[in-house]
Amino acid sequence: MAAAGTCGTGTRSTGSMVAAASTNNVTSFQRRGPRASGADSGCSRLVSIAGTRRSVRNGQLLVSTGLPALDQFLGGGLAVGTLLLIEEDKYNIYSPLLFNYFLAEGIASGHALLVASAKEDPADILQKLPAPLIDHSYKKECDEDICGHKMESDIKMKIAWRYQLFPKMEGGPVLSSGFGHDYDISKRIPQELIETSKWHGFFLPEKISSTFNVESCSLTSGYMKLLQFIQNIIYEEGFDGSNPQKKQKNILRIGIQNLGSPLWGDDICCAENCDASHSVTKFLYILRALLRTSLSACIITVPTHLIQNKAVIARVTNLSDTVVGLESFIGSEKETNPLYKDYHGLIHIRQIPRLNNLIYDISDVKDLAFKLKKKLFTIERLHLPPDLSDTVSRSSKQDLAESAKLLGPGCGMTAGGKKHLDF
Amino acid sequence: MPRPFHVKGAGQWTVTPSEGVRKGTGRVLGMLESLLAVGGLMLLRDSVEWEGRSLLKALVKKSALCGEQVHVLGCEVSEEEFREGFDSNINSRLVYHDLFRDPLSWSKPGKALPGGPLEALRALDKRTVSGPATIALDSLSWLLHHLPCPTLCQTLHALSRQDSCPGDTPPGEQVRVLGLLHEELHGPGPLGALSSLAQTEVTLSGTMGQASAHILCRRPRQRPTHQTQWFSILPDFSLELQAEPPLESQPRSDPHTPSVDPTTHLTFNLHLSKKEREAKDSLTLPFQFSSEKQQALLRPGLGQATSHIFYEPDAYDDLDQEDPDDDLDV
Repeated sequence: MAAAGTCGTGTRSTGSMVAAASTNNVTSFQRRGPRASGADSGCSRLVSIAGTRRSVRNGQLLVSTGLPALDQFLGGGLAVGTLLLIEEDKYNIYSPLLFNYFLAEGIASGHALLVASAKEDPADILQKLPAPLIDHSYKKECDEDICGHKMESDIKMKIAWRYQLFPKMEGGPVLSSGFGHDYDISKRIPQELIETSKWHGFFLPEKISSTFNVESCSLTSGYMKLLQFIQNIIYEEGFDGSNPQKKQKNILRIGIQNLGSPLWGDDICCAENCDASHSVTKFLYILRALLRTSLSACIITVPTHLIQNKAVIARVTNLSDTVVGLESFIGSEKETNPLYKDYHGLIHIRQIPRLNNLIYDISDVKDLAFKLKKKLFTIERLHLPPDLSDTVSRSSKQDLAESAKLLGPGCGMTAGGKKHLDF
Repeated sequence: MPRPFHVKGAGQWTVTPSEGVRKGTGRVLGMLESLLAVGGLMLLRDSVEWEGRSLLKALVKKSALCGEQVHVLGCEVSEEEFREGFDSNINSRLVYHDLFRDPLSWSKPGKALPGGPLEALRALDKRTVSGPATIALDSLSWLLHHLPCPTLCQTLHALSRQDSCPGDTPPGEQVRVLGLLHEELHGPGPLGALSSLAQTEVTLSGTMGQASAHILCRRPRQRPTHQTQWFSILPDFSLELQAEPPLESQPRSDPHTPSVDPTTHLTFNLHLSKKEREAKDSLTLPFQFSSEKQQALLRPGLGQATSHIFYEPDAYDDLDQEDPDDDLDV
């Protein structure tokens, strides 16, 4: 990948960052090599870009998506030069949150932003980003909030006293220091952070407001303008290495909202056999080519529940690198299902890219659920609630077993077929 | 100030007849006012059995009475038929744009609406420049058949975004777009696309001669709220709320089986008495060491310099210092 090539040979930089991160990760490997401090080596191939880190598995340059939980399930973060596609939930409540986290992470790390939307003005989108938390007092508060009962369990365990110093097993991921920030979604981002950041906005009604005839609302015109805009920004700001005298390399984070909705002039949501169903696929192909040849990462939200033709959904999925689908429980029968009462929806990681690798970097956890708390959006393994009722009758266990059968094998309870074996 | 009207979850708002009569006028204003308070695009989805034009006219009348400017784009019925039933002061506030009489502008080229429906919508967009306004589209189905769906969506979005800064303008200043949509005429694609754009969706249905409106209100970044209202429209296009008609009582599916307590009639004891509990608590477990020894075992690195011996005498240990082997004659 050209992006990895321009960032140096990979193993020698950010040794310290990897070491710090690895104390909280599964692996305890530490890369050894000459420690590259910025003062000594002036050559650009050893410089590390703010807000990025190398993957411990294959040295790929990664950026955080803003949510440490999502980073963990995507293999450490989003690779620079790739595309993250979010399939929106039905009422479009939770996918803007992921979008906002990505952009807020860009501002907090000092990256450049490019926000494109056909529905909302990009300046308004930036005003609504969550506020980053600089100190770690929030994390402590969050931990106490999540497991308030943790305090009591520190008192003497009578029989298993040898385990009392061990940390309690976490339901969610552990934040690795130095990469990724915490955010408080109940607060807005402070205005001075937006002003000091470099951002470019693309609002479709402004760009095509001049000619509003039927002919000019052709399907590729909105996409064409967006692609030209992105290409101009990449070239002018030097994200593709075209201005080598630029002193500091930076990442461009691109966010495109509601791609494929009728507001972009695309009719894949309106008709099953649409005339130009290839416009969005062409757009994604060209966009990915632009991403691969520059230091950028892109997030796109697509309303796949509105797309009428399943083949288009499959093509869009294949043309993206990482695909995450959100399924919220609002309005569906799962809302009242007691299995899901602690969560607001399910997350499906539909596709992970295989970048310079022979194997995929999939985590072994397939059942993930999300929950929107007052200040935080958490992603957790889906745990079935314990069966605590006094009068546990056979039929209720059967129902649970049947519902649990629908979940993947990574679930906490092994549920066999219809017959519930009782010992 | 519309009273808070949103009930989370799909709840039925049951009003007993006497209660309805007493609070009748208050509630009547409530439903229409709450519908008009949201702003943005409102879809009225009707069908052949439950028509929605009367509800549209009730909403038009309500907003005209509030002193707003009302523009109506009429495509399906003639102007006389639309204005029928309104009294003169409402009729004077209605600005009617007629696309029914001459949709393709054959009769007088270059007259008021030359460019067809798209030009008409664009003209509406430019016309409402000041103050709150309501735009009623008589029907979106007609427009969907004559314009491509993405174009219509973009135009509607531009119309309902007239206020440009949603945070700054007070709710009264917003532009409301009311669109009548015949849902049987369209496939799931256009319906889904328009639903995703709309802030409020009213689906008309009913049972046994009584009309009901299922209102789905979508505010940005909040959970959508559902509500069902039973109503009827009077000849002068004012709304009257009705009680829910009694459903036929369906037999309860499972008579509640008496729950059996499995802890009775057991051959073993599941409960502990107080004395038994005390005895259990005071029992010394085999690997339960004194706290000093526990801490030493938990933190192995501390006592490296000297080695400690922890001796905890067992209950049966004899602490007698005498050597018991003294008796032996060896």
